[in-house]
Amino acid sequence: MAEKKQQVKVPKKKASRREKKDWVAGYLFIAPVTLGLLVFYIFPFIQNFWFSFNNVNKFNMATFCGLENYSKMIVDTELYQTLWNTLKYVVITVPVGLFLSILLAALLNSEIKGKSFYRTIYFLPSVTMSVAVSLIWKWIYNGEYGILNAILKVFGLEGQNWLSNQSTAFYCVMIVGIWCSVGYNMIILLAGMQGISKSLYEAAAIDGAGPKDQFFHVTMPMLTPTIFFVMITSIIGGFQVFDTIYMMIGKTSMAYESCQTMIAMFYRYGFEFGKKGYAAAISIFVFLIIMVVTAFQMWGQKKWVNYD
Amino acid sequence: MKKNLKKLMALGLVVVMGATMLAGCGSKDSGSSDDGGSSDKKTKLTFSMWSETQMPAMQAMIDAYEKENPNVEIELQSSSYKEYWTKIEASATGGTAPDVMWVNVLHIDSYTDAGILAELDDAIADGGLELEGNFPPALIDAYIRDGKQYAIPKDFDTNALFYNKEIFDKAGVAYPTDDWTMEDLNNCCQELLDKGLDENVYPFACPVDFQTWYYQTVYANGGYIINEDKTETGYDLKETQEGIQCWIDMIDKGYAPTLADITDTSADARFESGHLAMVLAGSYMVEEYLANDAIAGKIDCVEVPSMNGKEPNCINGLGYAVYANSKNLEEAQKFAVWCGGEEAMKIQGEAGFVFSARNDAQHYFADAHPELNIAAYTNHVEDAVALPVCMNAAELYDLEANELKYAYDGSKTLEEVCKTLKEEGDALLK
Repeated sequence: MAEKKQQVKVPKKKASRREKKDWVAGYLFIAPVTLGLLVFYIFPFIQNFWFSFNNVNKFNMATFCGLENYSKMIVDTELYQTLWNTLKYVVITVPVGLFLSILLAALLNSEIKGKSFYRTIYFLPSVTMSVAVSLIWKWIYNGEYGILNAILKVFGLEGQNWLSNQSTAFYCVMIVGIWCSVGYNMIILLAGMQGISKSLYEAAAIDGAGPKDQFFHVTMPMLTPTIFFVMITSIIGGFQVFDTIYMMIGKTSMAYESCQTMIAMFYRYGFEFGKKGYAAAISIFVFLIIMVVTAFQMWGQKKWVNYD
Repeated sequence: MKKNLKKLMALGLVVVMGATMLAGCGSKDSGSSDDGGSSDKKTKLTFSMWSETQMPAMQAMIDAYEKENPNVEIELQSSSYKEYWTKIEASATGGTAPDVMWVNVLHIDSYTDAGILAELDDAIADGGLELEGNFPPALIDAYIRDGKQYAIPKDFDTNALFYNKEIFDKAGVAYPTDDWTMEDLNNCCQELLDKGLDENVYPFACPVDFQTWYYQTVYANGGYIINEDKTETGYDLKETQEGIQCWIDMIDKGYAPTLADITDTSADARFESGHLAMVLAGSYMVEEYLANDAIAGKIDCVEVPSMNGKEPNCINGLGYAVYANSKNLEEAQKFAVWCGGEEAMKIQGEAGFVFSARNDAQHYFADAHPELNIAAYTNHVEDAVALPVCMNAAELYDLEANELKYAYDGSKTLEEVCKTLKEEGDALLK
């Protein structure tokens, strides 16, 4: 305690000319990114926040309307339907995706043949355009001409219109979402695994730990910071899911309502219906939810993330 | 010394870069800011459109206009349909929208409401362009708001019934004809089924499509979607519902793929792969069909089958509009009006991608495709209804498709669905 106080009391030296010069250089170095951030993120965010209290037409002409957008939004059943769908998406895809990513990373971290080949093919979906991915999967799920139904037929099973059926469509979309994100998460987890010191494994082996014990008592605890990072980014990504669903589920699909996410709703109001004020209010709602969820995770990490 | 030199050079570079950037902006400004009055300087106009295929025709029109008006220079800009509106809306927000632009009826309400478009009545009178009598009435009305003309009709599209001769020949069924009724269409579907079609081949298709399918029969049957004052929807009318039900019945009878199947594989995709005997198609599909090797040479078209003695058709199209805050408003209007004239419509028509809006230029599209019965599209163009639009048109169409799918799927009756549509649709018109 005493030590800390002393540290605080150390009188601040006046910055020398040289130091000041360094600061200028430093600010100049961060200027391009900071300016970009201000122009492309901070300013639009503030404008969006302002729009949420206005009626805004296609041409960004805003007329102040107070809390009208919010009061309309709170009683809009569509919002709760999309919120529920989005939560379902996050709760299912994040754990499943995480589990598969860890499994793949662990397998590819071991000594197997053709390691870099597998790493490449698992990473490929991450570098493929999501529109292209969605179109291909749409064909796979096609009711009459899809390859999935063709395979089922070989086994004597009856296929169906996967993307029009309310009990299957959303899961079909989730599979694509997981398939797209597993590769990227795997690479990050793999890097995390390779950062674990070999000596820990050697020590564990001397103590008689087998591969299974080594995985659960050395790899997993040491990997928790990486897992935490992957979890935060996947959950945020899950809340913002839009493109694959937009591409795969047509407006006349019977599963359309049960597949609409909050961002899809935002897109429709903002860009299809030209009601940017209402769309802004929806996006603020999504932002608040993501903020709360992330804050909760930050608080919860103390209980399980190991930074030693 | 050396250090200073470096600094000087860096400073010099910054100045040069800044200057070029400013110059870049400046030259653009000076182009549109001169008043067009100076005789030695050309008036520069920008002209924006969204179709890559129609660019040569538009450029040819510009060339012809520039020849007649050497004081004007027009720059053509093109982007994809989806990007187009975003671009126009963003540039209009910044006050720099193109001087002349394509618009369609779907956007005319929101654009005139925001004051983006200039009224053209005076310019039309000055340019000596007679709209009445020279254009189909539905097309002129489509761009009139509060009694003022906001666009010059450019082209239009109507619908026709396309059929695949190969499928008919194989089944030994007679081809459709121009004088068909809805009953004939149904009978033919039954006959095709009875004679036997290949696996996955259907006689017809009925997607939840307003412009090409049910709006035509709704209006032919005396119903309507939006009333004249745009205060109420007409979903509750028996006539409206019958105009939709006739297509649902065809799905129920097995003449057309189920809603789930048509959602997975579109009617166009089926027809273009030779898996559909007949399909309704807008005139904008003609080029695509003819470019498809799988069906080219095997197809032809006839009129949309009549209903209760009426010829159903839905007419839509686009027009040339002028940006209200254009810095060369007068010149821009003059050019837009010229685009509606005989010469411009001929240039556009001969390119062959669309029906030119002018009555005397309609035949060019048919001339470009002698192998097809293109007259099917224009025989009853005078009776065609314009696409019903309102301020919230996009939202209304969305709502309609969303609700109607329950009726097409059979999980609700059309009557139930229309009750919801009436309530929610009316709310959108308020």
